[in-house]
Amino acid sequence: MNLVKLNKKLNILYGGKVKAREEDGKRILEGELSDWSEIVAACTLASERYSTTHVVNDIKLTGTEIPRTRLPHVTDKTLEGRKPDVLIIGGGISGASIARELTRWNIDVLLVEKESDLACHASGRNDGEVHPGIDLGKGSLKQRYVIRGNAMYDRVCKELDVPFKRNGQYVGFTKGFLKPLVYLYALHRKSIGVKDTVILSKKELFRREPNLNPNFKFALFNPSAGCVSPYNLTIAYAENAVKNGAQVSLLTAVTGMDVEDGKILAVHTNRGTIYPKVVVNAAGCFAEEVAAMAKDRFYSVHPRRGTNSILDKKAGFLVKGIAGIKGAKGTKNTKGGGILNTVHENLLVGPDAIETFERENFATEKESIEKVFAKQKQTAPTLSERDIITYFTGVRSPTFEEDFVIERGRKTRNLVHCAGIQSPGLTTAPAVAEDVAKLCVDILSEKGAVAVNDRFDPIRKGIPHLAAMPMKEREEYIRKNPDYGVIVCRCEEVSKGEILDALKSPICVPTVDGIKRRVRPGMGRCQGGFCQPLVTKIIAEFLRKELSEVRKNEENSVIVYSETKGRKGE
Amino acid sequence: MKSYDVVVIGGGPAGLASALAAERHGAETLIIERENALGGILKQCIHDGFGLVRFKEKLSGPEYAERFTEELEGKKIDVKLLSFVTEIRKNGKFYLSVVSREGIEEIEAKAVVLATGCRERTAKQVSIHGTRPAGVFTAGTAQRYVNIEGFMPTKRCVILGSGDIGLIMARRITLEGGVVLGVYEAKSTPSGLTRNIHQCLYDYDIPLHLSSTVTRVFGEGRLEGVEVAKVDEKMRPLPGTEERIDCDALILSVGLIPENELAEKLSVSSDPRSKGATCDGQMMTDVGGVFTCGNATHVNDLVDYVSESGEIAGKNAALYDGKNAKYAFVRPDDNLLYVVPQRLNLSADNSETVIYFRSKEVRGKSVVTVKADGKTVLQKKYPFLRPPEMERIKADFSSFPLKENSVVEITVEEG
Repeated sequence: MNLVKLNKKLNILYGGKVKAREEDGKRILEGELSDWSEIVAACTLASERYSTTHVVNDIKLTGTEIPRTRLPHVTDKTLEGRKPDVLIIGGGISGASIARELTRWNIDVLLVEKESDLACHASGRNDGEVHPGIDLGKGSLKQRYVIRGNAMYDRVCKELDVPFKRNGQYVGFTKGFLKPLVYLYALHRKSIGVKDTVILSKKELFRREPNLNPNFKFALFNPSAGCVSPYNLTIAYAENAVKNGAQVSLLTAVTGMDVEDGKILAVHTNRGTIYPKVVVNAAGCFAEEVAAMAKDRFYSVHPRRGTNSILDKKAGFLVKGIAGIKGAKGTKNTKGGGILNTVHENLLVGPDAIETFERENFATEKESIEKVFAKQKQTAPTLSERDIITYFTGVRSPTFEEDFVIERGRKTRNLVHCAGIQSPGLTTAPAVAEDVAKLCVDILSEKGAVAVNDRFDPIRKGIPHLAAMPMKEREEYIRKNPDYGVIVCRCEEVSKGEILDALKSPICVPTVDGIKRRVRPGMGRCQGGFCQPLVTKIIAEFLRKELSEVRKNEENSVIVYSETKGRKGE
Repeated sequence: MKSYDVVVIGGGPAGLASALAAERHGAETLIIERENALGGILKQCIHDGFGLVRFKEKLSGPEYAERFTEELEGKKIDVKLLSFVTEIRKNGKFYLSVVSREGIEEIEAKAVVLATGCRERTAKQVSIHGTRPAGVFTAGTAQRYVNIEGFMPTKRCVILGSGDIGLIMARRITLEGGVVLGVYEAKSTPSGLTRNIHQCLYDYDIPLHLSSTVTRVFGEGRLEGVEVAKVDEKMRPLPGTEERIDCDALILSVGLIPENELAEKLSVSSDPRSKGATCDGQMMTDVGGVFTCGNATHVNDLVDYVSESGEIAGKNAALYDGKNAKYAFVRPDDNLLYVVPQRLNLSADNSETVIYFRSKEVRGKSVVTVKADGKTVLQKKYPFLRPPEMERIKADFSSFPLKENSVVEITVEEG
């Protein structure tokens, strides 16, 4: 839509309260509105899907305060004066995978993450699907990277010792007459790279997944679809980066930058000022904020919440692969969620998609769960809320063009954006990381040749998972380290040895949630009821601290306060 | 491979009583306990009131457990602590894989007793939404922090659910100098024993809010508050009644669920009403040689009955002869929440069958009738029946000719 026409429309819709203008290849929307959904609608109207001319949202939200970015409480000088070749902002799947790919070169890589662990935001709060790309049309970066990324998963997960399973995606159709159309659709997708699609007859579908909606007449099947634990993969990438020489600094937030003549000179953090040669913006929902600090803001992020539920492993038999339904209401902007049998053999149900201006509101809402279940009962009618053991909310970080931004800064030369990442961002990460690393090396090469790191080792050894081992192997592990024979978490069968391994891992996050993400105590049906005190105690003993000094996750998440009267000897 | 007549899984009150009974009946017995000491949950129940029925004394949890552990001395009962059963299968006999610091041991048994207890229902299982801060505890977890670890998990808390552990913890936290702002119960009647309502709440001026629930938690790092609301008859929150309460913890006492993961591995069928394994009057499940007892069968409110069912299970596990059983079926009416046992073994001695049941609703004067194929076996009058209070009757079926598929009806009527 051209600018004149757009402004006419905006004028009609918002009574002159919003205006659009174009500048430097971006479309800036300005004005004031009191309803966030109107702001999203106005910006969406102004945007063109997959375009590289982005909408920048400068419409002020009135009447409501957009919460400020939460920052770590710690302040020190541990990073003061650091001069890394590349500074990566953001410890999600993008940042961690980029860090690892950069360590293939002989350069100094520093990754900063404001939270107490990696993968605390979108990367740790999604469904973990490795997408086949069937729902993506031509012309987007998402589409370009999804096939390449998907194909890399077997190798990457093997190298990084992360469980991955290709359990295939089924999308069921209740209307038989759509079959010829779906056939043509699959054929078209084949021509743009999605070569694995099969159309399954009803009989074949039910032979494979007998608990799906009996009204399904046929299904699209993509065997290349799979799943991974997104936070385990992020942590594994970061650990491998650290092993190859990168530094990861947690609880480190970027608070400002000094930019001169299109160049970032310094990056200020709560832990000192850093002087990087190149900066990578992999800040997820905060990418726009980082771009603004770098004086290179040419896109906007509009956060979109999604809630997933995790079901007891007992319900795992219901769906063995990944299943969804086509034609149900509310599927705009996402595949529409589904039911996924995770690498840990739980069922995951969700997500939904709700626009929000709160980037860090991870609260769950009852209505989200209810809606998701109402929809997914159309996929598998015997799905039951009674099997829910937990639920969580994540916030995606799309641009209004609904595509990734992977490019060098447009005004700031020593900056690379890896922004606008949303589904299938987990799938694309291995491929995107390679390209972002190349962009960084290109920039560094302008000042002289960058040598390859000959000591780069792509292999990361994960923490042994005793419960999944054959008896003999498990027995050998216990013989070498008897702590592997002490079961701490009975639901997930996690041993003390595995918990201690997590505490001794390359990026030690000695919190209850840090341990939970790495080796799963508390992830089962009792949700830590039995093991949380034990895990807390193991952490305290490891740190040689009191129980009251152990945290659940962030700095304020005290688990227990003072000693009881009895312990104090009163 | 070590071989036993009876292997008892779980060293809490049910398992201890069961092992002692098995040994008394001549069985070579092993107890497998995953923790580093016997006693189960009793270890952290330092309040008194245990053993009134059995010992006619008020004991603390550890004291009650001690009565049994002392009896173990000198008995031919092996105990494996810090040991966890990862696999169990039946192939004529039972074969268990047990993980411990020593490695993985294969153990053979003629009969097994599942005395695995129960677990607590969590916040997510009662649909509490909002953020995920530290400070949401089940009552048992909070109890462990206070009584075993010696640390206070709260300074000012709200308790959801009036189950017994919640009530006990309300008092415990108060005695330790913490503040319990209120106990919220979604039902219109308390879930815990009447004596606990008085001794733990009223004596300490802790308010009990019935037909009210917690709907949401607030706080990022640590919990900063909860939202409470009144509920309708179907326990749905009533819009407009929400109120925020500032506190640092939410403690949940919203129900216990029998642990039956091992039973499932053995394909033991469970009762959706009791939520535990189904059993006969000898506490044997529908898989021959597998016995169930204590809170793994159904959630008890008195430990005395946990021990009793353990003894029945242990004795009969020792006497198990491997013969196929034929059954009569027990059918509770809709006024009952559940009845244990669910079957009677026709070839067993059913002259002193212990029947445990709970009423579904709070009732006044009631008559409970046990009929075998239409003939009255027993009638008992009650001044009142309440869901929180488990009832127990002993029935003698010896003069009633039960046949295969005979029906034993248990009904409740006004009277």
